[in-house]
Amino acid sequence: VTARRVVVRGVGAWSPLATTWPATAEALAAGASAVAPVTAWDASEFPCRVAAACTVDSGEGEDRRRPLARAAAREAWQAAGVSRGRIGVFIGAESGRASFRTVLELGRAAGAGGRFDAAAFAVRARAFAARIDASVISPAAIAADLAREVNATGPVLTVSLACASGAAAIDVALAGGVGADAEPLMLAGFGLLGALSARGESCPFDQRRDGFVVGEGAAMLVLTAADVAGAPPSCEIAGVGRSLDGYRLTAPEPDGDGAARAIATAMADAREEVVEHVQAHGTSTPLNDPAEIVALRRALGAAFECAQVSSVKGAVGHWVAGAGAIGALCAIDAIVHQRVLPTAGLRAPDAPCAARHVMGRAVACDVRAALVNAFAFGGANASLVLRRWEGA
Amino acid sequence: VRVPVIAAAGVSPGGRGARGVAAIAPSTATPLASTHPGVPARAITDELLGDTVPVRARKTMARGALLAATAMADLVRALGPGRAAGAGCFLGVGASAGAMPDLHAMLGAAIVDGAWSIARFGGPGLAACNPLLAFQLMNNFTMCHAAIQEGVSGPSGAYFSRGAGTVAALRAAVDSVGDGDCAIAIAGGADSALHPVTWAEMVRDGRGECVPGEGAGLIAIGDGNAIAVITVIATAPAIDRALIDRAVADRSEIVIAAPAAVRALVAERGVAIHDAGAAIGEALAATPALAWLTGLERIAAGAARVAILTVDGDGALGVVALEAP
Repeated sequence: VTARRVVVRGVGAWSPLATTWPATAEALAAGASAVAPVTAWDASEFPCRVAAACTVDSGEGEDRRRPLARAAAREAWQAAGVSRGRIGVFIGAESGRASFRTVLELGRAAGAGGRFDAAAFAVRARAFAARIDASVISPAAIAADLAREVNATGPVLTVSLACASGAAAIDVALAGGVGADAEPLMLAGFGLLGALSARGESCPFDQRRDGFVVGEGAAMLVLTAADVAGAPPSCEIAGVGRSLDGYRLTAPEPDGDGAARAIATAMADAREEVVEHVQAHGTSTPLNDPAEIVALRRALGAAFECAQVSSVKGAVGHWVAGAGAIGALCAIDAIVHQRVLPTAGLRAPDAPCAARHVMGRAVACDVRAALVNAFAFGGANASLVLRRWEGA
Repeated sequence: VRVPVIAAAGVSPGGRGARGVAAIAPSTATPLASTHPGVPARAITDELLGDTVPVRARKTMARGALLAATAMADLVRALGPGRAAGAGCFLGVGASAGAMPDLHAMLGAAIVDGAWSIARFGGPGLAACNPLLAFQLMNNFTMCHAAIQEGVSGPSGAYFSRGAGTVAALRAAVDSVGDGDCAIAIAGGADSALHPVTWAEMVRDGRGECVPGEGAGLIAIGDGNAIAVITVIATAPAIDRALIDRAVADRSEIVIAAPAAVRALVAERGVAIHDAGAAIGEALAATPALAWLTGLERIAAGAARVAILTVDGDGALGVVALEAP
């Protein structure tokens, strides 16, 4: 059996820089960054007081993921020009979160202050729960919402791989990821992990890096078989690789073994030995960035020295479940526009992170194939190889 | 695609392994005074879990992850030395939920003079919380914790599941073996409906008559000595009579975890039914996988061709078939 070749017909994004992908890409090319002090709430005592947040009024309850994802999906569908036949939806998303109003009610249901009163909670939570919009809480709500949007009759799946979700979800039809984590609970959660930048900077691979900055947004792709009618393909999905570190929950293997296996599998799947661009996971954390470079060197060998490397997280922060998808869009931009978008915030590359980094502004580059990495908390790794579409 | 099942493991209120699921008795549903006053529930005891997962690791795990890690340890042992290292891992996982006392402590520490301060939530609130709470919050950690504990390092997928996603995980595992991505893949699901918020949501959804349950079921498929052969027949977003008819046709026995209306449809066909759902209760992402274990028990008992029908709380249908090797 010969697998059908899969191409990208359209893309869309809502980022903290702009509400469409073309506008986002131009801002990224100019070296813009959306990282800014948190103003949506009083973050003065939080371990990190900056984020790359989207200005979005959900206007339909508490879930900010839905308007982001829907706008990105509409943009991608419009660009793709495909007829609406049998469509599948594959979305990377983690749990939604209720608003702080709801969280406070939850606390009160448990007796507010002091000891958690489980019995009181059990009695009061029933009334409390009736007021929660189920779609706010469920990770599956986004995929279900988008399935209705595009009249999907095929499979509708939610992939929960944290930071690798978006990349692993890219398979066929409408695929992508969304994250809306610039809110107090997630800043608190990541703060507990000690993963956030105390300095308040997102500067992947830089000597100054001390953690990531939470970002948010949605990035969507419309994928079809190559023989399906639609807008001209922007590139093809040439290879996919996945692996588990099986090492630690919040630290990569120092020798990059798990990540290297995902990269090598994707390259082998694509039957490529060289890529001109690597859109790195590049989180700006002390451990992840050098481990990723080690993995790239192991997997690509001498070819790594030829690849221009950048990470979009310097500009838009870490979208968690949407991170892989926005990385894929940056790689597609490299293939379509023959330029590599820069790593915002990177000024002085750290020695263990040495590579052909793109800093400041986008650089012109003849990109035929690009590698996208997404490496999740928990050690779940996903890599994609995208390639210029040169016909069947 | 038909793939050999080479090992299975699970943990349920009835015990460890496939026989544990079969051994669940109605008497195991007992009111959990601490979280579900007056509500019969099927909980797994600490005694049953034992010390399979080290105490230090347990503190970082939400309930679903602990159950998955326990079952994974049993499965890896059943596979034999070195066989799980490169295995793929594809699990249906529920919405991970942190320990309520920790969240409550965070909120409590953020109250000043009777008023809640969001700024203090990010300072003293964090300080009041078990720092390991963050390890409990991401859904994929249910899979990753288990993989890390046992050194499983092949291709992976964590699919959000209230039931049907677990069947999707099995299909991904079958595809992964079929595509040659890995020689062995582990598939299944782990979840608990005993978290107070989960139960409150089920009541909200009009499912308060359910018996909340929990568990983890895992199977290993691929290269090795087959104990059965598995096929994912289909999934559907809603109950599909034609699909059920197709699943039931030519089967010697049916294992079912589905509403009474679906049981009635199957009963019309006059085939032997094993109601795994009545034993398991509502274990969400774990339910289909525990039902597969029941199917394996039927194969071990001599059944030739068993179909496993599961319908989750959203009405999504999953149909899996097992045959004797």
